[in-house]
Amino acid sequence: MTTVSITARPLLGRRRTRNPLVIGLVRHAVLIAVLLVMLYPVVWMVAASFRPTAEVMNSLGLLSRNYTLDNYRNGWSAGQLDFSRYFLNSIAITALSIAGNLFACSLTAYAFARLEFPLKRVLFGLLLGTMLLPYHVTLVPQYILFNELAWMNTYLPLVVPKWLGAEAFFIFLMVQFIRTLPRELDDAARIDGCGHWRTFSRIVIPLSLPAIGTTALFTFINSWNDFLGPLLYLNRPELWTVSLGLNSFLDVTGESAYGSLFAMSTLALAPIVGFFLVAQKLLIEGVATTGLK
Amino acid sequence: MRTRLGTTALACAALLVAGCNGTSVTDDSAGGGEGQDGKGEITGKLQLTFWGGANRAAKTNAVADMFVKEHAGVTIDRQNADFGNYFNKLNIQASSKTLPCVMQLQGRQLNDYTKRKVLLPLDPMIESGAIKIDDIPKEVVDTGRGPDGKLYFLPYGAAYDAVGVNETLATQAGVGLPPDNYTWAQYTDWMTRASAKLPKGTFAAGSRGGLPNFFIAYQLANGKQLFTEDGKLGFTKESLVEYWTMWEKLRKAGTSMGADAQADEPEGAEQGFIAQGRLLTDSIPGNALTPASGTLATKGGGQKLTTLPMPSGPSGGGNAMFTSGFAIPTNCDNVPTAAAFIDFFTNDPEAGALFKSDNGAATNQKVLQAQLDDPELPELKKRELALYQQIVAKKPPTILYPPGYQATFESTFTRSYEEIAFGKKTVEQAAESFFTEANAGLGG
Repeated sequence: MTTVSITARPLLGRRRTRNPLVIGLVRHAVLIAVLLVMLYPVVWMVAASFRPTAEVMNSLGLLSRNYTLDNYRNGWSAGQLDFSRYFLNSIAITALSIAGNLFACSLTAYAFARLEFPLKRVLFGLLLGTMLLPYHVTLVPQYILFNELAWMNTYLPLVVPKWLGAEAFFIFLMVQFIRTLPRELDDAARIDGCGHWRTFSRIVIPLSLPAIGTTALFTFINSWNDFLGPLLYLNRPELWTVSLGLNSFLDVTGESAYGSLFAMSTLALAPIVGFFLVAQKLLIEGVATTGLK
Repeated sequence: MRTRLGTTALACAALLVAGCNGTSVTDDSAGGGEGQDGKGEITGKLQLTFWGGANRAAKTNAVADMFVKEHAGVTIDRQNADFGNYFNKLNIQASSKTLPCVMQLQGRQLNDYTKRKVLLPLDPMIESGAIKIDDIPKEVVDTGRGPDGKLYFLPYGAAYDAVGVNETLATQAGVGLPPDNYTWAQYTDWMTRASAKLPKGTFAAGSRGGLPNFFIAYQLANGKQLFTEDGKLGFTKESLVEYWTMWEKLRKAGTSMGADAQADEPEGAEQGFIAQGRLLTDSIPGNALTPASGTLATKGGGQKLTTLPMPSGPSGGGNAMFTSGFAIPTNCDNVPTAAAFIDFFTNDPEAGALFKSDNGAATNQKVLQAQLDDPELPELKKRELALYQQIVAKKPPTILYPPGYQATFESTFTRSYEEIAFGKKTVEQAAESFFTEANAGLGG
């Protein structure tokens, strides 16, 4: 059944089907097609990680006659140490980074969103401006700084900036979110005798969970995937993160171990997928309410 | 509105200051005078950095451990990353004057560093006997020299590019291998003859007009200079047009692969098209023979790969050597130990036996001979090393790569040829724009 919509969309001048089943089918077909295109490389990698080394690069297909777990066995113990160490290191850095970002960004955001202080606008402008500076511009001065502080071969260069609110993007995200919270709640809290700390911890933080979830998730992804930072500051293999461990499978000037690389990449993806599944609800709420695109 | 403008202006000014400070590379050649001849006590901390994956790291570490064992009081802090990332890190270390005392380089990037005066000349250390070069052919040592003639890195491994040929496909097509001392004309003619008889989906060659090392081989065989004294392009536009026209003929005749298919070629010796059995011949690094053969052997019927020297020309062979070796930066505070390590890594027979020519054939002739005489050396590896010996016996010319070579020349060359192959430009137009772009970025 089709109807001509005259009143609703006179400008379009086209017949539009209103049948929800047809619309639903088409929409899902398109979504599934796009999903397949986007997922195929990942699925291929997972499939390749189960093929014997000689067959890893052989085909664009997924199937093989001889599946094996060798890539996982060899990959896990490859390199100068094994991947359990790299995973532990990555987890430690990531956990400290998330804690740092949540601590520093929420406090800073509260200040910018709720407090009045001199030069607030200039400081906020500066904060936003730092997002315009590409990472590479500050890379060398940063490297010199951390080197002078004798922080080479420690996790400090990767973690300390997070505790000092160096990630302007997340501060901005939280400021925007806190601004949407009704000020009346603050006023009510003040009448009840709350100072800033209590307003922050009892009112703003519980209401900001979506923004906090978003910050935690993106910090997780960024720290977990970070390659350049660990590459520059962590030389000793016992400090290596998963991304550095993965890099050691590659060697364009010699022999690469692609089977092991794919196997370990699959494992390295697992925490991100898991974290995303757990935090999905918060994330989507955060995206919807902070206008993050 | 006014306050907002003011705020923005202030913020921008502060950012400019923050962004521009500290990233400039100053040009002073520091470095204390002490120990510059490499003589002194071999002790203390040493930092070592090199490119490579886990396999090479294991071999390099074994050598480093051996050195530490022989020299009580020395500790070596090692760093490694794969080729591209290695240079990202090295450049940051160079601009912050924290280069590790023993750092790995190739001739292709050497002059990016000599230009900025961050390397110590090794000649005083050779004179003092701290570093020995007696067993390394002169042509090979010379690849470590800068434009001022001083030696800035000591080549320990020499790689070369070779012509890889899928023997199985060549036999099937009934053309056999190209004759000894074959020329470019014979090479392309051989491809054309084979092309018709190759199985479906395989090509005689890749779309390779954009491969810098192939072009270098062509120029060397024709006795042409590559770069001028001041680091600009030293060959003529006509010779480039001639070279690209030759490739265009092959591509248009269907002898070589289309440009779009070529653009899909994955990186790495194990996955290249020749390793996948899709090409009869291609230029590959000499040490890619073993990994590429590994993949090829899994293809239907177990195909075989071999390597040949580059095609010859009026001036003889077209092979150049691409050496890797260790350099010492001016900011190094432990030159004697660094010099001792470099000498050990390059010349010690036991160290050589551990490293097994993992990054190009050992430059030290005695170390190399010992490996060739080893009955346990795999057949393919033997072929890699033997071909190197053949090439070095012909005394290949040394190419002095100007600063900016890797960043400018290589990428521009490849892109310019792609513009031809994708039909965006004629050969003449592409050669014209290549000359302008490359000359703007090279030398200086």
